[in-house]
Amino acid sequence: MNPLKEQDSTLLAAVAAGDRRALEQLYLGYHRRLARFLSRFTSRYENVEEIINDTFMVVWQHAKDFRHASQVSTWIIGIAYRTALKSLRQQKNGSFAPGAEALAEASTDPTRETETQDWVMQGLRQLPLEQRFTLELAYHLGHSLEEIAAITDSPVGTVKARMFHAREKLRRSLPQLGGGGGP
Amino acid sequence: MNGMANQAREHREVSELIPWYVNARIGDADRQRVDAHLRDCAECRGELQLQRQLLGAMTADPGIEYMPTASLKRLQARLDGLDPASGAAPAAVPDAARQDAADRPAQRSIRWRRSMAASIALVAAASGILTAGLWTRYQAHSRPLDYFTVTAPTAHAPQEVIRAVFAPATTLIELQSILDEAHLRIVSGPTEAGVYSLAANSSLSVSASLSLLRAHGAVRFAEATGPAAAAAPDPPQ
Repeated sequence: MNPLKEQDSTLLAAVAAGDRRALEQLYLGYHRRLARFLSRFTSRYENVEEIINDTFMVVWQHAKDFRHASQVSTWIIGIAYRTALKSLRQQKNGSFAPGAEALAEASTDPTRETETQDWVMQGLRQLPLEQRFTLELAYHLGHSLEEIAAITDSPVGTVKARMFHAREKLRRSLPQLGGGGGP
Repeated sequence: MNGMANQAREHREVSELIPWYVNARIGDADRQRVDAHLRDCAECRGELQLQRQLLGAMTADPGIEYMPTASLKRLQARLDGLDPASGAAPAAVPDAARQDAADRPAQRSIRWRRSMAASIALVAAASGILTAGLWTRYQAHSRPLDYFTVTAPTAHAPQEVIRAVFAPATTLIELQSILDEAHLRIVSGPTEAGVYSLAANSSLSVSASLSLLRAHGAVRFAEATGPAAAAAPDPPQ
């Protein structure tokens, strides 16, 4: 086991025994990764914080249920995934929709690289949440097919299907990406 | 006929693997399979290029860093409010409860939003109490706080003239801009309450720096410290 995974396991075992300091260490270790990931779905930090803190409330209350067959990171991100799905569905008409601010930025940014990122972000916003999460888990967080299946509690075939549909929809909504001009 | 069907199946299956070929999270056998197919399939080579562009756009550095201290403090407050029986010694619960637990935050959402302003005020007030009241305790080295702190409370940092608390969503870039404008720099912090110790960066008066700080919406609390503050306190805004 690599040192980071070992440290996570040790901390989670301490959390299961009721150690608040261990939970706080785990929190600080995951906050940056989760905040960056979740801020791709909502521009409001209070939403991001709410999802992260709700996630760690679940971690605190259910650490004893963790089965060491999976990685601690997969387990925590799986809780964050379910929490985020619920939260984002509730605010479907809120910040999750593309805002005028984002559209204005997309049209005025002078650099092509940033322009591409904005177009991609707009394309991603059109996807159903499960499909978008699948793509983000693979590309933004760098998870394997099997890890995404564990995080989303879905069969591998379902993950492949979600990824396939996400790619198809993005290809249609982002013709400028597929139109060549790449390296 | 069979050969064509096999080719079509191989094309479909390899195409499905391309995202994990692109993010380098694919097993050796599957990677070799994709490599072999790419040599003969222009369509998949095009798809590979497209997915690489997509990955590049989705992994670009957002240039934003979030400060976890204030968020952690709010989590700690929630943990403090838990029923001791379920909080201090978490009981084993059925697996299905995890899904239920993930449901609960959504129900709390509205309540959370209603209390957001109150929470911010509470944090600012708590910070105020810490900075205005507990400073003397820090300086006197009286009993430590009875909860875990990320950064241990210390006496006044050298050259400190102001202590301030910023909104949790404040980015490092915004923080730097606010401090530059107020002619201040960080000399220590944040404490567990998110309190920063600030020193003067120019000959601008402390009261002028304080006014500039307080003019920002991202500044939740700002107060002068030290003898100058005691002699000529700035009115609260």
